[in-house]
Amino acid sequence: MDKIARIDMGAAGGPKVTVGDLGEYAGLGGRAMTSLVVAAEVHPQAHPLGAENKLVIAPGMLSGTTGSMTGRLSVGCKSPLTGTIKESNAGGQAAQVLARLGYAAVILEGKPEGDDLYKIVINKDGIQVVVDNSLKLLDNYPLVAKLRQEYGDKVAYMTIGSAGERKLLSASIACTDPELRPTRHCGRGGVGAVMGAKMVKAIIIDDAGMKMRPPKNPDAYRDANRKFVEGLRKHPVTGEGLPAYGTNVLTNVLNEAGGYPTNNFKTGQFEGGSKISGEAQAELEIKRGGSATHGCHRGCVIQCSGIFNDKDGNYVTKQPEYETVWSHGGHCGISNLDTIAKLDYIDDNIGVDTIEMGVTIGVAMDAGLAEFGDDAAAIRLMEEVEKGTPLGRVLGCGAAITGKVFGLERVPVVKDQALPAYDPRAVQGIGVTYATSTQGADHTMGYAIATNILKVGGDVDPLKPEGQVELSRNLQIATAAIDSTGMCLFIAFAILDQPETFQALLDMLGSFHGITMTGDDVVALGKKVLSAERDFNARAGFTKHHDRLPRFFHNEAIAPHNLTFMVKDEELDELFNW
Amino acid sequence: MQRITLELPENLLHIFFPILQKGIRVPAMVGCSLKSLLCEQFAIPADYVTGRITTIFFNNSPVDDLDQTIVQDDSRITLSAAMPGLVGATMRRGGYYAALRGGISHIVDHGGAEAEYGTVRLKLFNLLLAELGPLVLARGLILEHDELIDLLKNLPGHSGDLSASSGKVFLAVRFSY
Repeated sequence: MDKIARIDMGAAGGPKVTVGDLGEYAGLGGRAMTSLVVAAEVHPQAHPLGAENKLVIAPGMLSGTTGSMTGRLSVGCKSPLTGTIKESNAGGQAAQVLARLGYAAVILEGKPEGDDLYKIVINKDGIQVVVDNSLKLLDNYPLVAKLRQEYGDKVAYMTIGSAGERKLLSASIACTDPELRPTRHCGRGGVGAVMGAKMVKAIIIDDAGMKMRPPKNPDAYRDANRKFVEGLRKHPVTGEGLPAYGTNVLTNVLNEAGGYPTNNFKTGQFEGGSKISGEAQAELEIKRGGSATHGCHRGCVIQCSGIFNDKDGNYVTKQPEYETVWSHGGHCGISNLDTIAKLDYIDDNIGVDTIEMGVTIGVAMDAGLAEFGDDAAAIRLMEEVEKGTPLGRVLGCGAAITGKVFGLERVPVVKDQALPAYDPRAVQGIGVTYATSTQGADHTMGYAIATNILKVGGDVDPLKPEGQVELSRNLQIATAAIDSTGMCLFIAFAILDQPETFQALLDMLGSFHGITMTGDDVVALGKKVLSAERDFNARAGFTKHHDRLPRFFHNEAIAPHNLTFMVKDEELDELFNW
Repeated sequence: MQRITLELPENLLHIFFPILQKGIRVPAMVGCSLKSLLCEQFAIPADYVTGRITTIFFNNSPVDDLDQTIVQDDSRITLSAAMPGLVGATMRRGGYYAALRGGISHIVDHGGAEAEYGTVRLKLFNLLLAELGPLVLARGLILEHDELIDLLKNLPGHSGDLSASSGKVFLAVRFSY
């Protein structure tokens, strides 16, 4: 990966492609690349859907190699949903293919005049930007099917559905999985709307004629990767729990803990939880001839995804993730896995973030547009988004806007981004991350549970309540670093428990790039990324007063533990003091 | 109380997964520590409890210290293997991130309680369904007659008809391998 492609979509005479060297961005990947480019090159006051914004697409540091779990793709920009800097990442094949073509980043800049819709073809011969108005308003599944007729099955596709074209603030960018289904999404923050604003409908990435990226030290890299895979396979989470049940294995546990937000965060337990648990989902998938074990990209050994079929054995969607099952399920009082799967399919097809949309439907229910638990109404509301009706456009712009339009007070957002599936009154520490994240409420911003191994911030007494802010800070630093490597965050469990697996990861990075990498280097990278993001947000007008949860979390106690969010504002303000 | 014992092939174990997730009522000598209940009464090996049952809830609260958690009549106990993600790690017993859920953690019980016969509500999740399900079901559970009828309807070739018409039933299930 020794080059960066810049595509000026607004250039006089039509889109212009420039390919240059890495310059000051040498050695960066994933979130480090996207965030440092956006922080340096995008005016913080830019309109997110305007010509000044940039959409940065970056594979991870080890993408395109033979290494396992290296296939995350980062997409960054100024978010139209939050107004902050944004990095959103996904699995699928795109990162591996783009990296093998040698691109450390592809940056979409400018904005074309007129209504023409473009597709971008990237292959070993270069980059072509082509007008293709036949793709207009096609949703992701039919869009990819049409593109496959022209470009075949040995490429990766990045696409937006109708939601992205309509510039809805929950719009995602889909990446195709190994079976060329548009199921893996850069979901959060409306990155699909930015791609739509630049009038780019699809990016076709073809690595025919290219080879795997060669490590500087092949023997050491092979050895480190073998140890890394062994570590993942022997760990009960990455080797057993996730392959068997997927991420939805968390439903039962969060419900039992009273931390499962139900009916728009009114209570912490859902009566129908066991009906939509990962255990129930896996059993149903297997019974119907689908699968509960499937990788979202080649080279994945965890295989936490799956295939959800209908009762007749026909494909409906990929295995809905925990967050999706929650947002469309318990959050809306819905306990039918078939309904949730259908909603997941609609999300993927029109191209919207499943967390944002599910939370929005729950907010709409709370506002009186439907009853909690009304499956048909939930589908009907999503169909409004699909059709692009005025109501659908409101809903498609997310929970914050929907709450404002319908005058609802209980709107679970931070910096206008919907909260994920863990109630911050039950798990107060994650509320710290929701409040202070550089990117709005996001559980994955403080997800890399390897801080004790990394020694980020030194040792923290895990049983001291006052350690929550410090733990969240350390988690956010570690996560920024792992996001920059392009590794799947689920590797964190094996790293947490098995120091030799963490060392194997460091050895993979070191032997590939011909450097010696230590935990300190990883921490420094995480801090550098977070500092750049924080600085961008400050210049965009964000202050400590934006690092807050909605007041209802402070005022409304949640059952069964009868707790409010109790972390003080002054403590939150300490998070970025390092 | 009517007592029923079922002998079933192992491949029918999954029929019991829904009720094991929702929770079953099992007889127990209460007033003891949670560790004693699991290791001595349920006869779960101590190293399995330590290494495999990494997430335990007691009356909806994550437990960190099994020795200082005293089981009472009608206590609700939930057992899970290790869970993914930050919150999965947060819920882990005595885990590094326990502070993040400090507000809901089970506060240790000081002093004992009088030993007496009682029942506890037991739930099994994820990997433990298959691993502990046979042991728990063989030990026996108490359920309402209607619940038993619903359960038996899922057994192949069984109509769900039973001679007793109401009340509680003690059911033990043994699986052949």
